[in-house]
Amino acid sequence: MSEIWQGSLEKIDECRFRIPQSYKAGMRVPGIIYTDEKLLKDIRQDKSLEQVANVAFLPGIVKASLAMPDIHWGYGFPIGGVAATDVENEGVISPGGVGFDINCGVRLVKTDLTYDDIKNRIKDLAARLFSDVPAGVGSRGDIRVSAREEKEILVKGACWAVEKGFGIEEDLECTEENGAMAGADPGAVSDRAYERGKAQSGTLGSGNHFLEIQVIDQLYDAGVCDALGLFEGQVTVMIHSGSRGLGYQICDDYVRNMVHCLQKYNIKVPDRQLACAPVDSPEGKSYLGAMRCAANYAWANRQCLMHLTRLAFEKVLGKHWEKLGMRLIYDVAHNIAKIETHTVDGKEKKVCVHRKGATRAFAPGHPALPERYKKTGQPVIIPGDMGRNSYLLVGTQKAMDETFGSTCHGAGRVKSRTEATRTVDVNVLLKGLAAKGITVLASGKGTIAEEAPEAYKDVNDVVKVAHNAGIAKRVCRMRPLGVIKG
Amino acid sequence: MKRNYQLIEHTADIGMKVKGRDLESLFVNAAKAMFEIIAQRKSTSKSKSTTVRIKQNADSIDELFINWLNELLSLSDARGLIFFDFKIKSIDTVSINADVFGNTAAQYRLKSEIKAATYHQLNLKKTDSSWVAEVIFDV
Repeated sequence: MSEIWQGSLEKIDECRFRIPQSYKAGMRVPGIIYTDEKLLKDIRQDKSLEQVANVAFLPGIVKASLAMPDIHWGYGFPIGGVAATDVENEGVISPGGVGFDINCGVRLVKTDLTYDDIKNRIKDLAARLFSDVPAGVGSRGDIRVSAREEKEILVKGACWAVEKGFGIEEDLECTEENGAMAGADPGAVSDRAYERGKAQSGTLGSGNHFLEIQVIDQLYDAGVCDALGLFEGQVTVMIHSGSRGLGYQICDDYVRNMVHCLQKYNIKVPDRQLACAPVDSPEGKSYLGAMRCAANYAWANRQCLMHLTRLAFEKVLGKHWEKLGMRLIYDVAHNIAKIETHTVDGKEKKVCVHRKGATRAFAPGHPALPERYKKTGQPVIIPGDMGRNSYLLVGTQKAMDETFGSTCHGAGRVKSRTEATRTVDVNVLLKGLAAKGITVLASGKGTIAEEAPEAYKDVNDVVKVAHNAGIAKRVCRMRPLGVIKG
Repeated sequence: MKRNYQLIEHTADIGMKVKGRDLESLFVNAAKAMFEIIAQRKSTSKSKSTTVRIKQNADSIDELFINWLNELLSLSDARGLIFFDFKIKSIDTVSINADVFGNTAAQYRLKSEIKAATYHQLNLKKTDSSWVAEVIFDV
């Protein structure tokens, strides 16, 4: 890996560190990293902290360039980066601050099943999911749509899927933005993006995307668990996917465009992957309209994937999914830019919040939350790795006060894919996972090695920092039973 | 087969360093290397390939390099093709005109999905005897 980062870092408290604004000429705000001494050792090994400082160059950035506890090296923005820019004061929007997989996100489905109910059927369920849910590099699905219908998906998002019979109204209520961002502009999407999106609805994709059967193994907040209908030993399903080729193309199209905006708007950033334009500029507005299309496509995609999951459970267990209690807890985006209102220096400001590998974590009472989560706060879903745990948390007022209502999004990689491939013996890994009662099915062995637990930080450590810092509150923990990888 | 590129370690993504004796071979070698990361041919039996013409213009050589790789990725995904041969008809530092040849993806074992080539740490330089490029991909 690279050299240890030697830049300037000040400890604020046990969970917060600061890169002072003076670290680099051109930084408009300081960098704040939510981490502890233990996680910091790994964070210093790569260039993610330099990227936190680079993001602080963005015109209009307010408060700080923030990094969540799962921060690691990305391209342009760090993964785990959060940056808000003042929309009414030359604030910019950067496609690199969202990433190529626009609205890559995760949803959590609960069931009425207990571990004992399915412990002898896990392999059957995993096999059925593996056969019925298209996964893998360049996977194409059975859900084919016409050009007119694709435009509809870009505007209606998950609502399109529900209208097609791939879910129920309640699913939309339990999805961030109700599964469709307003302001999507299909006219801002290129023909190539349409072409790439056509055959990929209802496909999982590859890389770190997965579908996982899990069991709740620890409760942290009994009150919230009761409110959400969750209990120890309960079976859940987690789905992690994004906007597939359509999102990649939209990001590519707009990075191409915005590289030229740097000169046009006289913007100086230390990395061209931070290419950006004022939110209110024609280029900024056009990107926002296209990005929202990709976000909606991703919500439709995860809705379709959940539908296929429900059907797979029906086939194996011989009961309608509603009888199995397969209800959506929530669906969150973790690569997105949103225009939101937040309090900055005591004043309400309209800001463009970039969450690049970060999850929205709105507090109880926030108007964007559905009635059912008004008291608990927004459910926050944190996937871990295939051998350890995943978490459900809820948003907090502290997240609103400090991080523009944001928290971490996963464990965060610690080993490169090449290093993992070089060092992980897949057969030994699979044997070890099987001994822990975890079935893994993947399109290729390469993905299993790349995604091995040792390639990730321990999600338990990452979530502990988020919880202790108060930028989300632990609700319960899950462990994997059956994992489907692309 | 001897590799004409080296992988660069990156925590979340993949990078590569690639060389060429001139600009044309740099662009060809980079494209070949990228598709070697993505896919491996299952059989060597001859099959009819598809030819696609690519024309790209840019303001700089860096931009041209990124646009070239991303256009190939985009076409590969949209058409379900893995490109294996690249005939550059003309190239300078701001434009490229090429015919690229692809087989259907079904003929390959797909290893890694590359979402895009990025500008992050992009480094293209001319040495006395060759061109060298370092690029990080989002995977």
